[in-house]
Amino acid sequence: MIGTRNERQSLQIVTLGRRLPASPAAFRRRAIVVLTVAALATLAYFVTFSRKTSAQETSSCVICHSKLEPRLSDPVKSFDGDIHKSKGLSCNDCHGGNPNKADKAEAKDPNWGYVAKPTAQQIPGFCGKCHSDANLMKRFNPSLRVDQVQEYATSIHGQKLQKGDQNVATCVSCHGVHGIKAPDDPQSTVYAANVAETCGKCHGDANRMAPYGIPHDQYDKYKSSVHANALYEKHDLSAPTCNDCHGNHGAAPPGLTSVANVCGQCHSRQAELFQKSPHKEPFDKMQRGECLRCHSNHDIKPPTDTMAGVGPGSVCVSCHNNDKGFAAAQNIGSDLGDVSAKIDEAKELLDRAEKAGMEVSHAKFDLRDASDGLTQARVLVHTASADEIHKALTPAMENATKNYAAGEYAFSELSFRRKGLAVSLVFILFLAGLVYLKIRQIESKPPSVES
Amino acid sequence: MEESDPRGPTRRRFLDYLLGTSVVATLSAILYPIFKFMVPPQVIEASTNSVSVGKNADIPANSGKIFKFGSKPGIIIRTQAGDLKAFSASCTHLDCIVQYSPEKKEIVCACHNGVYDLTGKNIGGPPPRPLEEYKVNVKGDDITVTRT
Repeated sequence: MIGTRNERQSLQIVTLGRRLPASPAAFRRRAIVVLTVAALATLAYFVTFSRKTSAQETSSCVICHSKLEPRLSDPVKSFDGDIHKSKGLSCNDCHGGNPNKADKAEAKDPNWGYVAKPTAQQIPGFCGKCHSDANLMKRFNPSLRVDQVQEYATSIHGQKLQKGDQNVATCVSCHGVHGIKAPDDPQSTVYAANVAETCGKCHGDANRMAPYGIPHDQYDKYKSSVHANALYEKHDLSAPTCNDCHGNHGAAPPGLTSVANVCGQCHSRQAELFQKSPHKEPFDKMQRGECLRCHSNHDIKPPTDTMAGVGPGSVCVSCHNNDKGFAAAQNIGSDLGDVSAKIDEAKELLDRAEKAGMEVSHAKFDLRDASDGLTQARVLVHTASADEIHKALTPAMENATKNYAAGEYAFSELSFRRKGLAVSLVFILFLAGLVYLKIRQIESKPPSVES
Repeated sequence: MEESDPRGPTRRRFLDYLLGTSVVATLSAILYPIFKFMVPPQVIEASTNSVSVGKNADIPANSGKIFKFGSKPGIIIRTQAGDLKAFSASCTHLDCIVQYSPEKKEIVCACHNGVYDLTGKNIGGPPPRPLEEYKVNVKGDDITVTRT
């Protein structure tokens, strides 16, 4: 009962010594308000801060499954490192059921939405229950997209799943099941450096790919590509991996007409030049797949100047033979080769001059313009215009020739200095010889009579 | 045999010995630098830490200027608002020299259309990393760029 002497005293403490009204009715009303606020605050505290304890540590799912055989207890262990656990979720948030019931049948009550192991076809909806709910996801990560399930439906995986194929990849095939990490966690299966391996687990499996009639060497090829080299050797996480060209949730092979757009995400200048080039129309007509016709797709190698010529390694000769294009390729290859060789010669000469102690830093700095010109001309190969490339290479060739001459001048200066030094040295040695002979002559004279 | 030595007593021979060794030492002192001049050692380039890039008037608002920083290019930019910023001008993709684009107010690389914002961050095209940023010091009218 409120209103006893003791309670009044304790309420005086609660209200920090404020004087209570003398009327018992008013006193009771105020006491009820104070106690209600205190009770609500306590409840809010437990709801907010002890959710983890109530949901995870006292969950009957965790308590029972921890004691079961490895197949059934492993999910509990794996879930310890799962991002969902760190956000306060527990088994029942995905699987349903009543984690407050110790009895197995009650805990797994279908009326509580219990689903033991969802089928492949249920999985997108299973994850999408939360991940497609913008209002819910905002509570955990306001910048996270919520269209993954929608995108998945447009993927080859999603389309085949809708047709009843249970073997295609679903959410868990790439993200894992109970040990899911955030994509920026290096341990995540979808971390940039791990994506190719994750895709390769299925796409590198010949038996698994056989029913679909698609190759299974993409991962092996990718590992030898310039992109993999940037990703694995140079640790450049922005280098493209599977999902950058194929999409992630909406994974599908890019259509032949959209290859240039896909590559153009990074190689925008090359894509822009190719779109305006005379190659665009015939490639589209022949369904040549734009970029990949010359560069291939998964095992893209660093481009070389020989690719543009007509000699070994040329990609032009696969279509051009004794025609206008062949002549253009010949000119382009020869121009690029000449300028590249001249720049290399100038660099080598200037390096040697520098090592010999000559001051050539300005020539070396200036030579960078020639290298820039060559790099830009290599990009212009996508115009397929020999004239345009020749025009771009002319200043680069002039620059390389000028700086090669600077290297030669440095060596002629070095030679002059060395010759001057040799002459001085001979003169010094000659004088030293004369001094020696003079000493010998003085020593050989007989002592004079006076001495 | 000491008795038959025509040069006389031991003291003279000792002096001859000292004279001979001093001649060898003198010749070595002359020849060693000559030898080192002929065959210079592999010297690692001393890194330049600071360079003067010009006067205030050389860099008007919304413009950039390439300067030589050791053997590498640098770029100094005065933004529209008047702030001075300096970066390495070597594109992090294939080492081409980047330029400031007054129209786009970005740093661009003409080789492969790489784009960096005015903090040096790579925001477009193939460059994998941001440009290295340098510190700009203005003393009176002189602008100096220092490696941070």
